[in-house]
Amino acid sequence: MKKILIVDDDPNIRDYLVALLEDNGYDTCTASNVKDGLKIVKEYKPDLITLDLEMPGEWGPRFYRQLSQDNELKNTPVIVISGLSGKDYAISKAVATLTKPFDKDELLSIIKENTL
Amino acid sequence: MAENILLIENNKEHATALQFYLERSGIVVSIGTTTEEMVSKIATKEFEILLVNPFINGSSVCPIVKELKLANPLVQVIIFCFKQHLNQAMDEIGTYAIHFLEIPINSKALDLAITRARKYIANARRIAVYSGRLADLEHDRTLYHQLFNEVPCYISIQNQDMRLIGGNSLFQKDFGNEIGEYCYQIYKHRTSPCPTCPVIKTFADGKSHSTEEVVTSLSGQQYHVLTQTAPIFNDDGDITQVMEIATDITQIRQLQGHLSSLGLMLGSMSHGVKGMLTALDGGIYQMASGLEKNDPERIKKAFDIIKQMADRIKKMVLEILYYAKSRELQYKTVDVVNLVRTVITTVANLARKNHVTIETDIPEYLGEMDIDANWLQAALVNLSENAVEACIYDKDKNKKYRVEFRLWEDDDNRVCISIKDNGMGMDQDTYERMFTLFFTSKGSQGTGLGLFIANHVIKQHGGYIKVKSSLGEGTYFEITIPRKKPEESIAPFGKLIEKESTY
Repeated sequence: MKKILIVDDDPNIRDYLVALLEDNGYDTCTASNVKDGLKIVKEYKPDLITLDLEMPGEWGPRFYRQLSQDNELKNTPVIVISGLSGKDYAISKAVATLTKPFDKDELLSIIKENTL
Repeated sequence: MAENILLIENNKEHATALQFYLERSGIVVSIGTTTEEMVSKIATKEFEILLVNPFINGSSVCPIVKELKLANPLVQVIIFCFKQHLNQAMDEIGTYAIHFLEIPINSKALDLAITRARKYIANARRIAVYSGRLADLEHDRTLYHQLFNEVPCYISIQNQDMRLIGGNSLFQKDFGNEIGEYCYQIYKHRTSPCPTCPVIKTFADGKSHSTEEVVTSLSGQQYHVLTQTAPIFNDDGDITQVMEIATDITQIRQLQGHLSSLGLMLGSMSHGVKGMLTALDGGIYQMASGLEKNDPERIKKAFDIIKQMADRIKKMVLEILYYAKSRELQYKTVDVVNLVRTVITTVANLARKNHVTIETDIPEYLGEMDIDANWLQAALVNLSENAVEACIYDKDKNKKYRVEFRLWEDDDNRVCISIKDNGMGMDQDTYERMFTLFFTSKGSQGTGLGLFIANHVIKQHGGYIKVKSSLGEGTYFEITIPRKKPEESIAPFGKLIEKESTY
């Protein structure tokens, strides 16, 4: 079973992603901020990460920078799911950038493509 | 041009001879031989020269001649008579005639007299035209002066030294009749010329310049004005003065301020809105999958999310609507206790779910009051929700959270409501800025409109809010509202916006 880490500060959106992904046969784990996310990503070693950009404390781009400095984790695909505009430039190496509210089928197909 | 001559002479043969002579020169002659004929022919006014023997059948027609001349000064009178009557004619008619001829009439003298009469007539016509123009000019001058004065702008004239040398009525009304003072002193209470003075530029290049300024009138009222200048040249083409026209655009600026803060608000809220919409999607998804799997727990959870999001979105939209549309209050008489109980019921659910106890100290009956129930209720609900949320967001897990509502009447018969919580309290920064537009301590969950609007609604009702807060211990709001509509109500927004936005 493929593992997906969900990083988002909004509990309702985390719940949504967990339900959506588990219903579609993925294992999930969540983090509500960058610090927890970095800790969990090392233990959990997900196959893919969904990342919000604007969160209290440290922002999503910082999470990505830290991730890409870790040789073991730097190839983990990241999908940005954010409400920010100008999002396309925030993390250029993300495999996809979706705007909230996102299309769930689009998300599922992107995840499928990137976890083969 | 052929003149018409009215010839008055009682001697018919003499008259016919004169007529014959004159008609040879192309002059149209009409003859009268009696006083009656004279009077009736004068009435036709179809002549420019009156050639008259004033002594018809021994009686004098001099008074008729004088009367004619007074009524119609353009008509020129030439007198002819026998030598023995000449003195009397001159005595009686004097300057009313331009020429006195003696019978037998010398044809050259007659020609000269007629030529002279023509010149007089031509001159008189010219003078009439000139004086007509002069009157028009005087009228125009008055008109332009009036226009200058009544233009709904401030118009001032400045000389090279930046001194005022004139102003229209509106300028004098709002800035005083301060001829000789510096314009920057009168308009802006400055001691030196303004840095981007359009008047100086116009003196330099002779072109019109414009700037936007904030000026302060005699009464201290500030106006946003659009200033335009125009050079005034002397006869040599030098610029001696510059006219400055300032148009009051305060209202436009206020509207613009309102619109830009609305734009700012929408921008700052879009992140929150997007989050809510995503969570709403999540609720709908979980509802659908819950129904599919026949999982009541999931359905219940999904319904809670949907309800919560619907409430939040509703609240946000209502706040935006309130702010976007300056509205007058719709006063209605309501029961005070009912109003407060409704408010408490509205937040009771939120409190119960989050283990916050609600305590009330409310009398059975406290009379009625005239208010806009929709908005005052919304304002009170907002304050109450804040109290409950201050408990929810507090991190101290050992506290027993409670919100206390109290309702009473003060000595001035005003209604007082207090809302006290023992939640997180406010720090100094939050305390100072809590009523400020777009200030929120709730991150993307808040619009920064709730307390701003609540405060405004209460002020519109002639009431006020007192706040005490201490970080970590809780907050106390006390709202005082008169029972009747205030006589002087504050404007729905306008003035307030002026204070809140900078431009």
